[in-house]
Amino acid sequence: MIKLVATDLKMQFEHRTLFEAKHLHFCQGDVVHLRGDNGSGKSTLMKILAGIQTPTQGKIEAQGFQPGPWWRSDSLLGKALYLHQHPYLYDGSVEYNMTYALPAPLREQPDIKQRISESILHAELGHLLQQNATLLSGGERQRLAIARAYIMQPKLLMLDEPTSNMDKDSQQLVLNMIAKLKHQGTGLLISSHQSCELTQLCHQEWKIAQQQITTSANVTSSYQPLSTIASSQSEQTKQEQQYVSAN
Amino acid sequence: MDGSWSALIQQAFGLLFSFDPEVWSIISVSFSVSLAALLITLLPSMLLGFTLAFNQFKGRWIITNIIQTMQSIPTVVIGLFAYLLLTRNGPFGDLRWLFTQQGMIIGQMMICAPVLVALSQAAFTSIDRRAWETARTLGVSWPRAVWALCRELRVPLLLAVIAAFSRILTEVGCSMMVGGNIMGVTRNMPTAIALETSKGDFAQAIALGLVLLILALILNFTLGMLRGKAQPRSH
Ligand SMILES: Nc1ncnc2c1ncn2[C@@H]1O[C@H](COP(=O)(O)OP(=O)(O)OP(=O)(O)O)[C@@H](O)[C@H]1O
Ligand SMILES: [Mg+2]
Repeated sequence: MIKLVATDLKMQFEHRTLFEAKHLHFCQGDVVHLRGDNGSGKSTLMKILAGIQTPTQGKIEAQGFQPGPWWRSDSLLGKALYLHQHPYLYDGSVEYNMTYALPAPLREQPDIKQRISESILHAELGHLLQQNATLLSGGERQRLAIARAYIMQPKLLMLDEPTSNMDKDSQQLVLNMIAKLKHQGTGLLISSHQSCELTQLCHQEWKIAQQQITTSANVTSSYQPLSTIASSQSEQTKQEQQYVSAN
Repeated sequence: MDGSWSALIQQAFGLLFSFDPEVWSIISVSFSVSLAALLITLLPSMLLGFTLAFNQFKGRWIITNIIQTMQSIPTVVIGLFAYLLLTRNGPFGDLRWLFTQQGMIIGQMMICAPVLVALSQAAFTSIDRRAWETARTLGVSWPRAVWALCRELRVPLLLAVIAAFSRILTEVGCSMMVGGNIMGVTRNMPTAIALETSKGDFAQAIALGLVLLILALILNFTLGMLRGKAQPRSH
């Protein structure tokens, strides 16, 4: 089974302990909601799992991945893909940003091409492909970042507040893409400080509180404020409308 | 000074555009030596600049300061140092590189590298850390991720290259000491200007001075255009 296992994890910044965790498993197929107040360390935990930040203590093992070349065999990089809270886009067209991480020969393979056009469609970026990515709006940037990750077909994906600052339509697009990834078996870790439609996809919860990370199964679905039920119903009717108009 | 200014300048243009072999041999020595020094130092210097910017390690502070200091050492002093290295009895005397183009290249590399390292370190320090993190977490290999940063930083890095190149192309001290100003071999534009002027042969000196002047103009206009294009980013 493909997974990340963290043991005895501890993160400190200058003697201030951010969080501790004895055991954390993040497996392919899991859909985890990461909760915590502002500044509790959600982004930091994700960066540690992505291998771009080192924890003060503890180790993280990647299990079940295809062995890479020897010089990067023990690296976490590229195992669980991390999507920044505010994504960074390179100076270049939207298309360049989307396919940047793919080695050039791969871009011509039919299945990858299919995946690229799929992600353009889902993120509704078709009309912006040639625009400079640094000029996109906040919501468009987030959509592009998710499309870029979608193309890479990661086994594990970590999304840091993917729908903050988004309007309803963009949120719906992102929700659909994430649901698709979930359907394809991608392990998802989604941070959000509040429950929303997105977190209803999750069947596990990690909570950072009092400097401890606690894990529990399926809390979000039982905890569902009325407002989100109402909005999800309205989303459903909207989808039906779209379906009707598409036919 | 014999002859009027206009006559001198006419003579100088005459030398340049009649393709006087001596003048053009001097120009070609200048360019081949400086380009070689630049090309050899370019990649290692940029990588060192990147490493200094992106890694916290013991001794980083001291290396950074040494490189900053080396930038301001006069070129004659670097020339003296290179001379001592390359002289018959020196540590690299067996190479017999004193008064050759190889020797000049070594000397110019010592002038060029600190400029490249310091300016590229400044450039790499200025970039958003997420640019690096994004590439790496998407599974991009180390060299390709560095390349992506260079692409983001193309303006400041090109500025670094131009600054380094114009410094070595125009320096006199080191070339004079290590090269020895031998016609057809190690005489380049700055050393030729110094010599011809001291001999009173101003036409050739002015011709070469013009070449340097035009080059400086071209490089600086390029710089200006690049600076003008660069815009602060909002995200
Ligand atoms: N490199 C660093 N050096 C020192 N302190 C840091 C560093 N990075 C993060 N912190 C601190 O760690 C804490 C957690 O930051 P983090 O970004 O992980 O929070 P978060 O849970 O993602 O918050 P939010 O909900 O606002 O996104 C913050 O108080 C922050 O100031
Ligand atoms: Mg955060």
